[in-house]
Amino acid sequence: MEIPYVITPRKDTGLFNSKIAIWLFLASEVMLFGGLFSGYVFLRLGADYPWPERTLPVLPGLINTFVLIGSSVTVVFAWAALKMRNWNRFVLFMGITIGCALLFMVLKGIEYNVKFHHQAVRLKDYTIVEGHLGKMKEDDKPVLNFKGKEIEANVIRFEAGAVTFNTVRFHRPWVDEIILQGEHHESTITLAEDIKAITKEGNEAELIAKAGDALSVELLEKIQDVHGKARAHNGAMRTAALRKEWSETRSENPSKRGWQLASDVNIDAAALQPKLLTELASVSFKVEPATEFHFAPRDVQEAETQARLRDDTMFTGKLLESPMVFHDVDAIDFRHLAMRAVERGQDPIAAVENSWLLKNHKWARDAWEWNKEQTAKKEQELLKKHGVDEETGLPKKEPTAKERYRIGWKEFIAMSDGAERGGEKIKVSEEFKGPDYEGRREAHTFPHMEVPRDQVSFASKFTPSWNTYYAIYFTVTGLHGLHVIGGALVLAYYLFFGRKMFESNPEWLANRVEIGGLFWHFVDLVWIFAFPIFYLM
Amino acid sequence: MADTPEAVKKSIKTYIFIGCLLFAFTGITVLVASWEALDFGRHGFDTADAVIGLLIALFKASCVAAIFMHLNHEKKSVYWIFGGSLVFCAAMFALIGLAKSDPIDDPYFYRAGDSKITPPSLSNAVEKP
Repeated sequence: MEIPYVITPRKDTGLFNSKIAIWLFLASEVMLFGGLFSGYVFLRLGADYPWPERTLPVLPGLINTFVLIGSSVTVVFAWAALKMRNWNRFVLFMGITIGCALLFMVLKGIEYNVKFHHQAVRLKDYTIVEGHLGKMKEDDKPVLNFKGKEIEANVIRFEAGAVTFNTVRFHRPWVDEIILQGEHHESTITLAEDIKAITKEGNEAELIAKAGDALSVELLEKIQDVHGKARAHNGAMRTAALRKEWSETRSENPSKRGWQLASDVNIDAAALQPKLLTELASVSFKVEPATEFHFAPRDVQEAETQARLRDDTMFTGKLLESPMVFHDVDAIDFRHLAMRAVERGQDPIAAVENSWLLKNHKWARDAWEWNKEQTAKKEQELLKKHGVDEETGLPKKEPTAKERYRIGWKEFIAMSDGAERGGEKIKVSEEFKGPDYEGRREAHTFPHMEVPRDQVSFASKFTPSWNTYYAIYFTVTGLHGLHVIGGALVLAYYLFFGRKMFESNPEWLANRVEIGGLFWHFVDLVWIFAFPIFYLM
Repeated sequence: MADTPEAVKKSIKTYIFIGCLLFAFTGITVLVASWEALDFGRHGFDTADAVIGLLIALFKASCVAAIFMHLNHEKKSVYWIFGGSLVFCAAMFALIGLAKSDPIDDPYFYRAGDSKITPPSLSNAVEKP
């Protein structure tokens, strides 16, 4: 069957069918991205914290913009080559377009990867510390989790003498982790007391597990099985008893409505009790000798004598010191602290100088003093260059809040190299992957720091959970990245499987490439807005 | 829109010119954001920089839409479809304006007779350190 209007236009629309379809699709895409960008503006205008403006490295974003613009030119050249019936030129330009798409995604991947490995913490006084965490070590050897991976030095440490599992919700990987940590510290985790249960109606309680049995997933699953069957049985018994009670009550009072009888319908609990099986909702183990367990802060809620995992596993004992250990602090940011101080009517500079960080860390005080000096120089420079506003008597241009209150990795490098702010030497690779921490270890460019847990207000990697800026940045650029992948796949299909169509019906292929090209230009169009909005503003 | 091979051939130069224009204006956007000589308004990022950056982006987007996507001479039906979506888009931005103009979030709005009070801001504070 011949598909109509794939080459010749329809009379009513003046377009071939796939063209009107792609424009309808692009219209929906305009509204989708328009909604996301307007959401960004809304969040930015309403933010109750200093917006992280110009926080992303510009160079990768700029290169990606050039790459996408270049691919927009080559895709239109590929279409033109088909119109001129030149297959080889089409292959060349379409190949470059797909190469550009791959390069774009690789650069985006590097950018995302750097963000996902970069730690930030907001302290109780709103100071922000950024950097890279160290790894947990014992006797100079890295501690590994049950998957054999190194553990970041950001854990809640708890010395437990007993651990209780919820037999319904326990998370198997965490049970493995608890067993491993117990073995690592040469402690045994054994059942605190015999587990006995009635597993059949009318029978005596039978032994399910003995006191002293070692903790294992299989043991918990066995208890879970008994518990599950007992719950199902007991539930059915209670329902049957309730139905019977209702039926009897109704037959005794045929003239009354259900709601009038409800208060009289009660199960005879004493009569039901002998028929019920034993439910084992939780099971306790003892840890001998009491030993340290550690879990990621997101997985545990801790108190002085108890710690509870998200699967309701409860440790009993005492909380240990659990600092966040930064091997490389690469930024300290007082903007949020200063903003809060201003809101309270306090002097922001005094607030910074009274912050926990400056009071407890000499390197932070040195960095702050260095930054103050640099800001004062900038102030003088701007005053000299732009002068004073005649009406207000204030300088026309002044250092920004970011210059005053944020000391980033470039400033740390400048300070370490004895250079002025802006005079630091940065390698191109550092613009992509962040500073060369290893190379600068000897110079102590990036300080080591321990943040006590009681000073931590919120901690996260640079992921959507860190703040609304990153949430919408990942949403828009992630969605855009998916469009790049989708568009590249379609264009690659034309490149690798288009030859046959080119030979039989080249105009049809040209129209198809035009449609794919229109989508590709739209992808470029979105990035034209995304780049300045996320990278430059 | 260039449909015949001859017309397409003639358009190639336009495509190259627009490509160069897009590269150039991308560079200008970065310079406006980072080069002090092209820093408009206050020092550092401010509304003036945002407006200029977005106007350049709008110009670049118009070039892509008009030349690469051939919107400079398309059929009426495409204009209706695309234009309609832009209207919806503009409406979404207008909704933000409405939300931001709602004084319910402004703690100073209801303090009658206290018109001299201005909300604290970081920039107010740093003017007189």
